[in-house]
Amino acid sequence: MSVSRRAFLGGAGAAGAGLVAASCSSSRKSPAAADDVVAFHGANQAGIATPPQDRLAFAAFDVMPGTTRAELATLLRTWTDAAARMTAGLPVVPDDAARPEAPPQDTGEAAGLPAAHLTITIGFGPSLFDDRFGLAHKLPAALARIPALPGDDLDPAISDGDICVQACADDPQVAFHAVRNLRRLAFGTAALRWFQLGFSKTSSTLTGTATPRNLLGFKDGTNNITSDDHAGLAAHVWVGAETDQAWMKGGSYAVTRRIAMRLEAWDRDNLADQENVIGRHKISGAPLGAAAEHDAVPLTAKNADGTAVVPMDAHIRLAAPSENAGLRILRRGYSFTDGTDPDTGELDAGLFFIAYQQDPRKQFVALQRKLGAHDALNEYIQHRSSAVFAVPPGTQPGGFVGEGLFA
Amino acid sequence: MPARARAGAGVTAALIATALGAAACGSSTSTGATTSGGTGATPITVQLTSSGCTLSASAAPAGPARFTVTNKDADAVTEAELVSGSRILGEKENIAPGLSGAFSLDLQPGTYSMKCPGGSGPEEVPFTVTGTAASSAASGSAGTGSSSAADGGALQAATTGYVAYVQQEVGALETSTEAFVDAVKAGDIAKAKSLYGPARVHYERIEPVAESFGDLDPEIDARIADVADPSNWTGFHRLEKALWADKSLTGMTPVAEGLEADVENLNTLVQTVTFQPAQLANGATELLDEVSRSKITGEEEAYSHIDLVDFQANVDGARKAFELLEPALKAKDADLAGTISERFDAVSTALKKYRTGDGPTDFQTYDRVPAADHKVLAGVVDALAEPLSQVAAEVVGS
Repeated sequence: MSVSRRAFLGGAGAAGAGLVAASCSSSRKSPAAADDVVAFHGANQAGIATPPQDRLAFAAFDVMPGTTRAELATLLRTWTDAAARMTAGLPVVPDDAARPEAPPQDTGEAAGLPAAHLTITIGFGPSLFDDRFGLAHKLPAALARIPALPGDDLDPAISDGDICVQACADDPQVAFHAVRNLRRLAFGTAALRWFQLGFSKTSSTLTGTATPRNLLGFKDGTNNITSDDHAGLAAHVWVGAETDQAWMKGGSYAVTRRIAMRLEAWDRDNLADQENVIGRHKISGAPLGAAAEHDAVPLTAKNADGTAVVPMDAHIRLAAPSENAGLRILRRGYSFTDGTDPDTGELDAGLFFIAYQQDPRKQFVALQRKLGAHDALNEYIQHRSSAVFAVPPGTQPGGFVGEGLFA
Repeated sequence: MPARARAGAGVTAALIATALGAAACGSSTSTGATTSGGTGATPITVQLTSSGCTLSASAAPAGPARFTVTNKDADAVTEAELVSGSRILGEKENIAPGLSGAFSLDLQPGTYSMKCPGGSGPEEVPFTVTGTAASSAASGSAGTGSSSAADGGALQAATTGYVAYVQQEVGALETSTEAFVDAVKAGDIAKAKSLYGPARVHYERIEPVAESFGDLDPEIDARIADVADPSNWTGFHRLEKALWADKSLTGMTPVAEGLEADVENLNTLVQTVTFQPAQLANGATELLDEVSRSKITGEEEAYSHIDLVDFQANVDGARKAFELLEPALKAKDADLAGTISERFDAVSTALKKYRTGDGPTDFQTYDRVPAADHKVLAGVVDALAEPLSQVAAEVVGS
């Protein structure tokens, strides 16, 4: 952009956001602009270590047959430019009103809404590295397809994909608008493969903030990697010198799993059992046998009868870094619902799990191999989708996301 | 037929008005855009009332005009249509109390009516357009407001060519419908089935034009879900159900004769039809919207499953309109013209997979197309429709 975001937004002023919204303004002006814009450009893509926003719109695309390598690069550049504008709280184009006889290029539903900490994060699935675009030699070893894991019941139609777009914002319409408009820009080059909305964050990556609850009513992800834990991010999340693909340095790998929860059955389970399944007290979030949420999990504590205070199959025990050779992932999942199951009438809801890491083979896959086989929670959940994406590093003005692929 | 009944969402109405609906939104921003479909459009307010509607002016000079339709508290009256005889030139529907909307037109001199049905008073208010069509000098009565003279020549050729195409297709529709109707009346199910597709092709190629003539499209092409009372259901799809689902033509003679009469009426109406270049472009996009809405879903031909025949016919009609505009478009935006041309090819290529021969009706039935393929077909249609939707603005000139 020729005008710096800060300068533009600073100039937008605080004049009646409500009125601007009512009149379908072609620019989105936020009264709190400077505070609710997450920088798009940087060493890493935003939307990973960024403190989770309230809402998610996540889309996977397949590149259309016949698309050339150059067309793919053009799409990524177009997307990058549009993402830079939208995350700054601007419409896709400066002024649709100038051409009333043409369809508006921006779809308009975010007009008048604030930037809402919108982040747009783009990644590439293993399938993009087949023979279509001459990218086979750019495939990182860490971008191996997620193997079949214990307890999986995956639907291919909502799994995988050539490219992913994660849009997160504090306003659901801002997040939806971002994906909708990127999809429109992709017509003819890439087609939507699947799309998931998330209505509530389930994890925190900010020290000192309350851990949100998932739909089981529990705090999960208490021990997440925080955005200010630079050592933790470097050790577990950002791709570094260990990679076999230089274009991925500063990037990360996203794993997504649509985890359906059997909420009706869960809600009928007694409190003590719910707490034993998770390994935490429900309301306080404290580990069983501990007093406060952030207390260490007393993995060795025993009850009078010799059984473990935190049961051997409790979710937090199996997921604990100390039980997994220190491995950690950055969780960034969202609660979802897609209405009801058409067959049973039960709620179709759960966790759209998103995790970022340096190498899914050593992190997510290792962890889930264990959880999928032994977690007491498996009685109440079902993994229904799976995908893995290489999320390249951030860009600078003038560059585009994934440019390293074409270098 | 569209997924929902619409008694007259015509070429003009559906797409010119849609494009300008966006302007209704954009024009209220601080950019200072005028109210308009272009600079200098005559603003006219249509107030919907419980008795019908009142206009801010009963006459306007020839040239661009923008009709703003408002509804304060009229529950029974929710739409306004500018009509010339039986033909809807522009309209705004679903303006419930508290809402407003607008449509724009390039008015030619003559006598019109503003029709606001549903009220207690007269349904139509007379409206006169005075003077000469000064803004449309380049292409006479079918011209657009702001084309240059050079564009005007190419655009004039496009609109003239499209009139000829429409007349040719409707002529063929009449002939093929007569043969189909004769077979139905003779009770020959096998023959009627074989003549159904060949007639449908000619209708689907020019469907947006038929839709511009008020009730004709629903009478000819309604599906059962489109009609309030199934006993009043007429047209092709009523006969389609009789042939493929009921396997009986009992009682179908009046339906067949009604269809024949409607098609003859359509043929009469298109003998005097004229078009504006934007109507060609918008009609082409509308044809692709038809494909997305009812062919890819398999809803159009629910009994015969010849949806791919309609699909190809819609695409053929869209391509014809585009190719007529192509010379003018190339002069303005050669890249856009090239992209659209390539994507028409991509759609034809995608359809080729289901062909059983080279003729317009040589396709597999849609019930044999795997569900997984629907997404692929939708993808190529979206890929085409998006750039095609940019053409109208280019040929209107801005």
